[in-house]
Amino acid sequence: MNEDTAAASAAQSRVGKKPDTSEPTVTAKRAPIIVCRKIVRSFWRAKERLDVLDELDLDIPEGSFEALMGPSGSGKTTLLNLIAGLDRPTAGTLTVAGTEVSAMGDAALAKWRSQTIGFVFQHFNLIPVLTALENVELPLLLTSLGSSERKKRAQIALRVVGLEDRMHHRPQQLSGGQEQRVGIARAIVHDPRIIVADEPTGELDRKSADDVLTLLERLNKEFDKTILMVTHDPAAAERATVVRKLDKGKLL
Amino acid sequence: MTLTSLSIKNIGHNWLRTILTVVGTAIAILSFVLIRTTLSAWEAGVDNAAQDRLSTIHRVTFVMPLPKRYFDEFNGARGRIDGVDVATFVNWVGHKHPVRETEFFATLAVDTATYFDVYPEMSVAPDRLAAWKENRQGAIIGEALAKQFGWSLGDEVTLLGTIYPGVWKYRIEGIYVATKKSVDRAQFLTHWSYLNDSLPEGQRDMIGWVASTVTDASRAADISAAIDTKFDDQDVQTRTMSEKALTMEFLGGASAILGALDIVSLVIMGIMMLILGNTIAMGVRERTHEYGVLLALGFRPKHIATFVVGEGLTIGLLGGGLGLLISYPLVEQGMGRWLEENMGAYFPYFSIPTSVAALALGMAVVLAGVAALVPAYSASKLDVITALRRIG
Repeated sequence: MNEDTAAASAAQSRVGKKPDTSEPTVTAKRAPIIVCRKIVRSFWRAKERLDVLDELDLDIPEGSFEALMGPSGSGKTTLLNLIAGLDRPTAGTLTVAGTEVSAMGDAALAKWRSQTIGFVFQHFNLIPVLTALENVELPLLLTSLGSSERKKRAQIALRVVGLEDRMHHRPQQLSGGQEQRVGIARAIVHDPRIIVADEPTGELDRKSADDVLTLLERLNKEFDKTILMVTHDPAAAERATVVRKLDKGKLL
Repeated sequence: MTLTSLSIKNIGHNWLRTILTVVGTAIAILSFVLIRTTLSAWEAGVDNAAQDRLSTIHRVTFVMPLPKRYFDEFNGARGRIDGVDVATFVNWVGHKHPVRETEFFATLAVDTATYFDVYPEMSVAPDRLAAWKENRQGAIIGEALAKQFGWSLGDEVTLLGTIYPGVWKYRIEGIYVATKKSVDRAQFLTHWSYLNDSLPEGQRDMIGWVASTVTDASRAADISAAIDTKFDDQDVQTRTMSEKALTMEFLGGASAILGALDIVSLVIMGIMMLILGNTIAMGVRERTHEYGVLLALGFRPKHIATFVVGEGLTIGLLGGGLGLLISYPLVEQGMGRWLEENMGAYFPYFSIPTSVAALALGMAVVLAGVAALVPAYSASKLDVITALRRIG
């Protein structure tokens, strides 16, 4: 058992799940963790209504790794924001991890987000005045965990992404690929069921992008995380188990 | 890491701006402390005036003299007033140094027999006191005045008269030290009898005021009234008041300046608050995207507002602390000592009162917190999606 696997085991044992190192299950047979029904998301520009998502239906099974592709303005990020609980649909129902997020208030939605969703951003979005360890620890500040436990979990998350030796570095002391791996560690440290990634390789060179995609694959396969990734990059989409295409607010 | 430490770490986003803001705040605090200490030093005489000492002056104004025989009715040859313990009398002479004319110091002609009994907080060696009493042209001076003009025991000193024209020669027979901080350490005390004997016949036997201690400070008002009643039917009526009231009357002319200084000190703090508010608002604008990330991670608007206010409080605390750190050596060791030695008549005790230091630090922190409220409110109202879209 190598060190990463040990770290993975440690991380998983905390949440009472066994790491699944076998081949991925056939996602179609698992219950959907994300259910969109006739989702509409409209914006008003001057007096003109713009339907970015138009009665969209979507089921995403738990444990899948899905890529969402489409041209700019097709509604990819809007859909991702809705699923992540950052936004609410204008119409329709959206159920994520068993909760109808379209009906939740701001406070409840923020709490739900902090427990259920892990975010991976295109621009990494690490806090520059914090070390890698402190950045990873951020989501845990919202939990009731004690300081030492928070630190321990952040260390484990950094070990999972292979950056244990960089935990005291600040973002400006890391390469782009390393920053994104810290971002991924931050996304998994609170053990969310779903990871949403918005162009996670958009700022990276090919080698770093491959490393990040490999890491996401591993999180999907070994840790059973449901991953929804928005990307323009066909090479990134190839790593997903399902690729969905969106255009003018509708799935193709 | 905790939410509090995260809030404090936020000041590290732009060190140059943080340092400049902290230094700016520190300078504002230094200015505030200097002004407030000046006011406090000016009013030290009032604040520390003896509770059991009364001053009896001419009813019209303290500038007008009283007949010397009034003093004799306090506890002297002509009578006694119930409740008065010891009394003395003083006459303002108004001499000045023949060369350094602008350097003011109080020159008082006093009753050598009783003066130091009424003012025990002015301590002088017994042998020097005796020597002074023996020499009609002798003078006892304050330690600060001795240092200011470089005078020492035995020196012959010539002063120029203003109220009483002419050249006045004295010999320094003693130097007193103050045992209370309200005491002017730059007085020049001479014999009233020497002054009196030197005046033309028609100007003699007049004194400036009578100072008396009372046996029971709680009866000071009644005793004051009794003194004034005693002289009601005489040619010159008196007004007796506590030493504190008399000192306030002396300082009354400067009250407008003191009031203006008071306002200036508050204006400085107001400007400091605006600078802090602007700095914090700039930081909030620059970190909109970062707040968007925190909101996405599940932090609530109240957390964001707390981070902003916490950042303001931290800067205020650092600026206030640094301001006090600069103020103490500057005031206590430098400026304060110089003022006491060279302007002891105005500032007998120039030191930062603890209350001023606490007020300065408290105001720095509170005003920084208040200054952060508007940016904090704006930050807490951010929409997560809009904030995430904002870069830089």
